[in-house]
Amino acid sequence: MHKASVLERTLRGIALTLVIFFFMFPIFWIFLMSFQTNETILRVPPSMIFEPTLTNYRSLISGTLEGSTATLEIRFMSNLYNSLFLSVTSVTVGLLLGVPAAYAFAKLKFRGSEDIAFTLLSFRFAPPLLVLLPLTIYFQKIGLADTYLGLIWVYQLIVLPLILWIVRGYFEDIPSDIEYAHRIAGHGFWSTFTKIALPLAGPGIAAAGLLAFIFAWNNFIFALVLASADKQPVTVGALAFITASGINYGQIAAGIMLSIAPTFALALYAQRYLVEGLSLGAVKG
Amino acid sequence: MHDKEKQLVQSYMNGNISRRGMLRGLASMGVTAATASVLVNAAATEALAQNGFDWKKHSGTTVKLLLNQHPYADAMIANLENFKALTGMDVVYDIFPEDVYFDKVTAALSSGSSEYDAFMTGAYMTWTYGPAGWIDDMNEYINDPAKTNPDYDWEDMLEGVRNSCAWNGQPGGALGSDDAKQWCIPWGYEQNNLSYNGRMFKEAGLSVPKNIDELVATAAEAKAKIDGTYGIGVRGSRSWATIHPGFLSGYANFGEKDLNLASDGKLSAAMNTDTSRMFHEKWVQMIQESGAPDWSTHTWYQAGTDLGAGKSAMIFDADILGYFMNGGDNAEAGNLEFAPFAANPDAAAPTPNIWIWSLAMASAGKQKDATWYFLQWASGPEHGLFGATQMDFVNPVRKSVWADAGFRERLDSSYPGYVDMHDLSAPGAKIHFTAQPLFFDLTTEWAAMLQKMVAKEVPVDEGLGQLEDSVNRQLKEAGLG
Repeated sequence: MHKASVLERTLRGIALTLVIFFFMFPIFWIFLMSFQTNETILRVPPSMIFEPTLTNYRSLISGTLEGSTATLEIRFMSNLYNSLFLSVTSVTVGLLLGVPAAYAFAKLKFRGSEDIAFTLLSFRFAPPLLVLLPLTIYFQKIGLADTYLGLIWVYQLIVLPLILWIVRGYFEDIPSDIEYAHRIAGHGFWSTFTKIALPLAGPGIAAAGLLAFIFAWNNFIFALVLASADKQPVTVGALAFITASGINYGQIAAGIMLSIAPTFALALYAQRYLVEGLSLGAVKG
Repeated sequence: MHDKEKQLVQSYMNGNISRRGMLRGLASMGVTAATASVLVNAAATEALAQNGFDWKKHSGTTVKLLLNQHPYADAMIANLENFKALTGMDVVYDIFPEDVYFDKVTAALSSGSSEYDAFMTGAYMTWTYGPAGWIDDMNEYINDPAKTNPDYDWEDMLEGVRNSCAWNGQPGGALGSDDAKQWCIPWGYEQNNLSYNGRMFKEAGLSVPKNIDELVATAAEAKAKIDGTYGIGVRGSRSWATIHPGFLSGYANFGEKDLNLASDGKLSAAMNTDTSRMFHEKWVQMIQESGAPDWSTHTWYQAGTDLGAGKSAMIFDADILGYFMNGGDNAEAGNLEFAPFAANPDAAAPTPNIWIWSLAMASAGKQKDATWYFLQWASGPEHGLFGATQMDFVNPVRKSVWADAGFRERLDSSYPGYVDMHDLSAPGAKIHFTAQPLFFDLTTEWAAMLQKMVAKEVPVDEGLGQLEDSVNRQLKEAGLG
């Protein structure tokens, strides 16, 4: 076995440190900003030495911001809840609909299957604003405007094609012989799907779910157009700190830290599945 | 309100004691200044209820508003209980951040949604919304004595501001013409003048510039003399918003226009003249020598933040941007001062282009008379005075508010030069653009050309020629030229 020399290990360590520094420094800097006031953030030259304050987090969590002339209401935590609810629910619905559909497209070749699959993928091509104005009119007519149900439905435009196309590749990679063997042993179609196909495609489904969650979390145009202020996600809510009377950098930083926390935690937890899932799905035998 | 407090407020309302005397009296009763102002407004609202107008006509009705997150909206919300008490109506609202606000408005209006009865808008936007049939002409409400309370006093609105919100829908039609439709009601407005750092100017021995040549020279001197600071903040992003503040205010002061209107009603580019070329050259030179290093990305936010943080010595931008930066937790809060600015040395006074936050009524709304009740209260003199004296509802659009001694005193004490700047500039303050449907496209292209000039990608004279050709082509394609 090749044993790395001291020089090689040192160089590798330096390279890794540089890469980590390059990617993590912006997040680290935002983390520091979240404990500062605008005055210390904007001083020239910038400095890492400051008296930390929890004011920014307190404002976000309590929902009130003390201004020079008035106390203003901040809806950030409600925005955070909306993002969490919309993303989790949309991905759950997307998985429930998309995984069986992906299996069908992978294993059951039927007339028009490619056309249908491509049509579903084409939802990702359409510029959201092109779709949204007609949708607004329809939603108003059928009572779905400004409802969570309507938003979750529209979010399927983001998550469903993603889940369907990623998971389909996984199911195609599962050798049919394994499924046939299970069927010959006397098990039915549903049992083969749940006991054989689903577990084997597990990492792919997890990766697709995670990616779909990130895409859903980052979206803001759908809720902006289709819903009122109380249903807006964090991506819209975060803009509230850019005001005519100034940019509240400290609160933006604290907001970023709170809003990346769920996706960051999820990505850390599931990164093994994400890397494994995506790389396996990308290679076709 | 307790009797003693009520008597004191009433004495003030009757003019028997001064505002300061009333506040002192209320303070001795344990009433804070903020509560005192709400009490005063409650008394003013009670007085309004006695003017013979049937304020309760729409009692029980709920009006829904779409609002931009802005100090003007904050001032309205702070005073909203008084409106509810006056009318028995309810008001609900959605507030969206400014970055996405107009996307929300456009989506709501273009889809024919009846969700919102009224909304905040800029006057420029009504040049799109009005002809599209998305908003109502407010003249039919203002001029109807059965719908408008006798103390509303429409003529009290500053003339240039009022007219800037009225257009007849004809490309090139004069704003405020006799046949114009009042697409929106002015709420609060911004003039573009100089906000400068008085501390820095004093320490560096600088004097306040009086014309474009002095502005270019003072900005360069400020940059040279003050460490870590650039001379002047002006907007530079590729957007219509780069043209409308300081740039157009200075440009218009030389009598220059954006478009010519021929006798046959056709429009053509007006920016390729000798005077325009001279102004562009000086403006470009000023940014190259003394502007922000990242000028081409600068919007309202960067121009204001840099002034507040002491990174720039002055801005030629909205007066209220300087006003906001002179407070809060900005490093230079309390150090900013204000001055009128006439770019043309031969001009008698400044001619600031203005931005007007206004209120408009959605045509798709289902309860228009009730909505007008809210609009006339929100744009009325009582709320205007409350917002201007107790909140940041500045600049007021009503002459009566500007005449209020308490308001002038407040501004004078904390914002040196602001009142004089406003008084001198107000007569020439209006929208100096030509009203036409390609406004946003053409001004964005103008901004893009300015960027090229500042980056030395194209000489000024050549750039203006290219801009003229492009503007004329677009006008022709749209059937306007």
